[in-house]
Amino acid sequence: MKTYVLRRLLALIPVALVVATVGFVLIHLAPGDPASIIAGPDASAEDVSKIAQQLGLDQPLHVQLVRWYGRLLQGDLGSSIFLRKPVTEAILDRAEPTLLLTLAAVLIAVLIGVPAGVLSARYHNSATDQAFMMLALAGISIPNFLLGLLFVLVFGVWLGWFPVAGYSPLEDGWPATLRSLVLPAFALGLVQSALIARIARSSMLDVLREQFIVAGRAKGLGERAVVYKHALRNALVPTVTVIGISFAVLISGAVVVETVFNIPGLGRLIISAVLRRDYPVVQGVVLVIAGVYMLMNLLVDLSYLLIDPRVRYR
Amino acid sequence: MARLTIAIPQAPAGRRLPPALAVLLRRKIAVLGAVLMVLTTAVGLLAPVIAGNPTHMDVAARLGAPSAARWFGTDDLGRDVFSRVVYGARLSLLVGTTVVVLTFGAGVSAGLLAGYFRALDNPIMRVMDGLMAFPAIILAIALMASLGPSVSNVILAIAVVYTPRVARVVRGAVLVIRETAYVEAARALGAADASLMLRHILPNCLSPVIVQGSFVFAAAVLTEAALSFLGVGVPPYVPSWGNILSEGRLYLQQAPWLVLYPGGAIMLTILGLNLFGDGLRDLLDPKLRGLGSERPGAS
Repeated sequence: MKTYVLRRLLALIPVALVVATVGFVLIHLAPGDPASIIAGPDASAEDVSKIAQQLGLDQPLHVQLVRWYGRLLQGDLGSSIFLRKPVTEAILDRAEPTLLLTLAAVLIAVLIGVPAGVLSARYHNSATDQAFMMLALAGISIPNFLLGLLFVLVFGVWLGWFPVAGYSPLEDGWPATLRSLVLPAFALGLVQSALIARIARSSMLDVLREQFIVAGRAKGLGERAVVYKHALRNALVPTVTVIGISFAVLISGAVVVETVFNIPGLGRLIISAVLRRDYPVVQGVVLVIAGVYMLMNLLVDLSYLLIDPRVRYR
Repeated sequence: MARLTIAIPQAPAGRRLPPALAVLLRRKIAVLGAVLMVLTTAVGLLAPVIAGNPTHMDVAARLGAPSAARWFGTDDLGRDVFSRVVYGARLSLLVGTTVVVLTFGAGVSAGLLAGYFRALDNPIMRVMDGLMAFPAIILAIALMASLGPSVSNVILAIAVVYTPRVARVVRGAVLVIRETAYVEAARALGAADASLMLRHILPNCLSPVIVQGSFVFAAAVLTEAALSFLGVGVPPYVPSWGNILSEGRLYLQQAPWLVLYPGGAIMLTILGLNLFGDGLRDLLDPKLRGLGSERPGAS
């Protein structure tokens, strides 16, 4: 078990190295000299060289790369050119709405997706199954930002049940926060619940065909016990993977949905940074989200230890 | 002789559909997918015939509701939304097709080399893993930040994002096929590495790759729409579904048609690709029948 955890941790190192390098390459991909692009078309030569110096762009490439790794190890993401504060601070300022939105969306996705998938499998090929799967197919065919726009139109503009846009921070009281997150969280979570339902269904179907399920039925176990006690637990393994990945997918989805609802989170931060060519912020947000993504994948792998004892002996 | 019957309790199915009907339904659904795909393709290819000028501005008619003359209404600059949606299909078609070609070119080469030469496996796949450690849309946004807004840069960015996903599928298939008896036989007959890879291994690992094709296409269309919606995709004057939605967000109250029509176009296109992809998988890869996973996660 220890070796398993250790192996998973070691496997992260090369991936993290590639991620850090990609983050570094981003700024050098731009055609022309990065410093003059950041400074803008009207900047003087003096300004350009000042920015180049500030960002260390005047050094040879390999020196820049080594310094970059060193800074990342210390958790230093540099300073925003436009906001005039450290990137880590800018990210922390904007993290609350993105995290809350992601968590709410994961909750919605799991609470709808897993039961829908399990019911579909239990009543395989029935009308219920077909209806759920048609809905799921429609769900994966609609992008989250489009669903968000439609929600705003129907529940915000036409029915007036929820605020059309904006975010109420936690310090102004959680009921208002919750209200401002209902539409974006559903826009984000429903699409993912469709994916979870499809996977929960297919892994349930696989498990229901296993010998031990036949054995359970043969010894007279009730259908409920067979499905919910024996099959569900085994079908959870692939489902947990998807739930973990969902968290990672949804945090990047939140970045898109924030634009629909004008929520001042990490998504708005990165998009405005792209438009202002504030490269340190772009790099920082991208690396932080990639870090969360990697962490979630690690946690998913480690969660197998709890759910699936077979992994422990590998 | 008395016949012994053992009753095996079945799952308490509601109303069970006859299996043949279920199969037919699945096929019909795949056919529906194909029809939707052909429709989008035709609209995209025939855009200059079907639609008017998508960039012509008629300021007097701005934010006009759908009418007999302007089926989908007009936008805030008085441009014809129908023409813009039709030309948007053309752009989606272009983006989807080129992204599939580029990701297959790069992904199949990388996957083939990594799967075939053990020495290359680690270096190639670690780079691919590193790229896949970024959520798709985030990497695409970051690349667009560096490359700058243009149609070809959008295509390039999306291709970079989805190449590792194709490479991984190809490598997995190559690892299995490399060990089969017929590859060993060809090797025993003195076939060179190149001939083994291209003539014996590649053709046999194509079916999972082809199945990926429709999903990569769908993901490319969705990612382009998302990037353009966010304002970091194709330039604003280019008619794209994402661009129309981006304008529509600002005029949701006065002009909901700016969201409803391009939104419908995206949904039908993606639905068609997904239905067709599922059908294709059932056809080419019977082992995976009924499995709803393994699609590149779109935004």
